Amino acid sequence: MLRLLATIRKEWQLLLRDKTGIILLFIMPVVLITVMALIQDAPFKDYQDIRFDILTVDNDHGRLGRSVKEGLASGGQFNIIDSLDGQPVTAERAKQLVNEGKYKISIIIPAGATAAIVSNANRIVNDITHRMGMSVSLPVKKVPDSLNVTIYFDPAAKKAFKGAIHQSVDNFLTQLETDMLISRIKQQLQRKDSTVTATDTLAIRLQAVGLKEQSTGTAKQLDVISNSVQHNVPAWSIFAMFFIVIPIAGNMIREREDGSLLRMKLIPGSYLAILAGKMLFFVGVCVLQFYLMMLVGIYVLPLLDLPQLVMGQHPGATLLVAGGIGLAATAYGILIGTVFKTPNQALNFGAISIVILSAIGGIWIPLEVMPARMQLLGHLSPLSWGLDAINDIYLRNGDVGFVWKNVLRLILTGLAMLAIAGWVEKRRMN
Amino acid sequence: MSGISVKDLYKTYKGSAEPTLKGLTFQFGKGKIAGLLGPNGAGKTTTISILCGIVRGDSGEVIIHDLKQQAAHREEIKHIIGIVPQQIALYPQLSAVENLTYFGNLYGFKGKPLQQKIMHYLELFGLEKSAHKEIHKYSGGMKRRANIIAAILHNPKLLVLDEPTAGVDVQSRSMILQFLRDYNSQGASILYTSHLLEEAQSLCEEVVIMDAGKMIVQGNPQTLIHQHPDCNNLEDVFLHFTGNALRD
Ligand SMILES: Nc1ncnc2c1ncn2[C@@H]1O[C@H](COP(=O)(O)OP(=O)(O)OP(=O)(O)O)[C@@H](O)[C@H]1O
Ligand SMILES: [Mg+2]
Repeated sequence: MLRLLATIRKEWQLLLRDKTGIILLFIMPVVLITVMALIQDAPFKDYQDIRFDILTVDNDHGRLGRSVKEGLASGGQFNIIDSLDGQPVTAERAKQLVNEGKYKISIIIPAGATAAIVSNANRIVNDITHRMGMSVSLPVKKVPDSLNVTIYFDPAAKKAFKGAIHQSVDNFLTQLETDMLISRIKQQLQRKDSTVTATDTLAIRLQAVGLKEQSTGTAKQLDVISNSVQHNVPAWSIFAMFFIVIPIAGNMIREREDGSLLRMKLIPGSYLAILAGKMLFFVGVCVLQFYLMMLVGIYVLPLLDLPQLVMGQHPGATLLVAGGIGLAATAYGILIGTVFKTPNQALNFGAISIVILSAIGGIWIPLEVMPARMQLLGHLSPLSWGLDAINDIYLRNGDVGFVWKNVLRLILTGLAMLAIAGWVEKRRMN
Repeated sequence: MSGISVKDLYKTYKGSAEPTLKGLTFQFGKGKIAGLLGPNGAGKTTTISILCGIVRGDSGEVIIHDLKQQAAHREEIKHIIGIVPQQIALYPQLSAVENLTYFGNLYGFKGKPLQQKIMHYLELFGLEKSAHKEIHKYSGGMKRRANIIAAILHNPKLLVLDEPTAGVDVQSRSMILQFLRDYNSQGASILYTSHLLEEAQSLCEEVVIMDAGKMIVQGNPQTLIHQHPDCNNLEDVFLHFTGNALRD
């Protein structure tokens, strides 16, 4: 125990005097997450928050036009643009602008569209009342057979995007048609039975079964969406934690070069206790780094007009994951410090390998947007296990039961790397 | 009752064609100050590394204070032996007190007794004023002295020093040599290597001259000088046996 505690204190003294190490461990990561969150803020918004301009040409000037425009505008995703430079947009101009890529969508509501819907509703009601033996006849206009709402899409628009727009416009159409029909039926019923007042007409509702979106997270509701901060802060924190391999490897190689390792080996007692002390210290540093970065996400990034980081509701699970990442990173540092002979070799290999592991592990861009084969490879990176576990907690509100598999992976990998380091060290002695 | 006994020791480092030790054999009694002498590359440091157990010999037998140097006794021997390596084996970024506290802790000492012991030795070695200065700011002589303190915190019965006086000034050297005599007078055995034969001649009761991994001659310095009428001092004896050729 004394060996372990003494080693922790010694590492602390060494770190305090290693200004470059402190900068690498604490200052650089803060700069890194801030910069990454800032530069990726726009692309992330592109996926979620950006509002699309929709050119609308309302030649109908009736209920349908109003309904489509209000409906699209109410979702918050679209800006309805119906005049340019003070002039109402014409169908021709709209088509041209979309084709040039200046706008992504244009919706053209033809003249007489509302009239056509009204007329259609009237015809149905006439038919029903006629069959019921009543002789009402609402006005029915002769309209051309094919009256269409036209949508123009930017040729580069994605299929899913097109589908979504198509769907919502279709919904507005159907809804309006149904509304009209029901109000006509109500009118006729009222006329037949004058005791029924307008307010307590049969409660004819449009939808018997509704649609409701709900978060899949367990326990309490979390309303967190993956934004630049939610992705970049944990991702680059993990990256920075793994960069601890540089100071650790440097520390180990220096010990070998300056003879202090030799001194330790000359002293009776297990080297394992010394190594455990070293590990514990650096895992502690990693965890400290992690929480420092989380604090930056919560308190500093909002000052830069970025969203605030949300850490989920399971602090215990978060600590466990941070510890697991710290252990894997520290063990990797010890392995590199053991295998390589010079600080330069260790620095180059360590840094490049972490950059590669982070790139395939979904640190730079989320794994989900990578090709399937890269995703498969990415799931082999310890950095991806860490990030997955953090996302489980932060975005899916997972607890320890959610993340234990990834934490176990991190710990086992760490132990395996330590075992290899021990084996290499032993071989070197013989 | 031998302090150190080395019999037929062989060692070839991995990757080198030539063996470093080729059947090295010598013996030193307990309680003596002994010198292990030889030109550069003779295998002195290798021998010491095998004595203290950080390098394994390929074959042969090593006995330290009646204990065979093998896995079963390795830990016990570490308690008996104190090693002052050829290189400064301390953390350059830490102060003398921090270094000595850490290594003292590793030996199992702690608290006030350890601090008192450290201060005692720092005073003895004239380092009390620099006790809290980082080692890398020390002069060569100060580093050598601090390096010795780290090896004696556990009061070893056998102190092995690999060129403890290399590159130090006259004052530091005479201080170190005086300390070795005092430490020996308390009953400890001392084995040391040096290229300074005048120093070895005055300090050692027994010397081994080795070359190219083999023992060439062993004996009391004065006796050796007398045995060779053409030799006036130990350096003459050394040159007589090892020749004038330069070594790698
Ligand atoms: N770790 C090693 N790997 C390979 N060869 C080594 C190693 N250590 C020493 N040698 C070789 O073994 C030989 C003896 O080296 P050693 O350091 O034991 O000599 P020495 O007598 O202590 O020399 P010096 O007086 O210069 O300190 C030298 O040729 C050296 O190159
Ligand atoms: Mg040597």
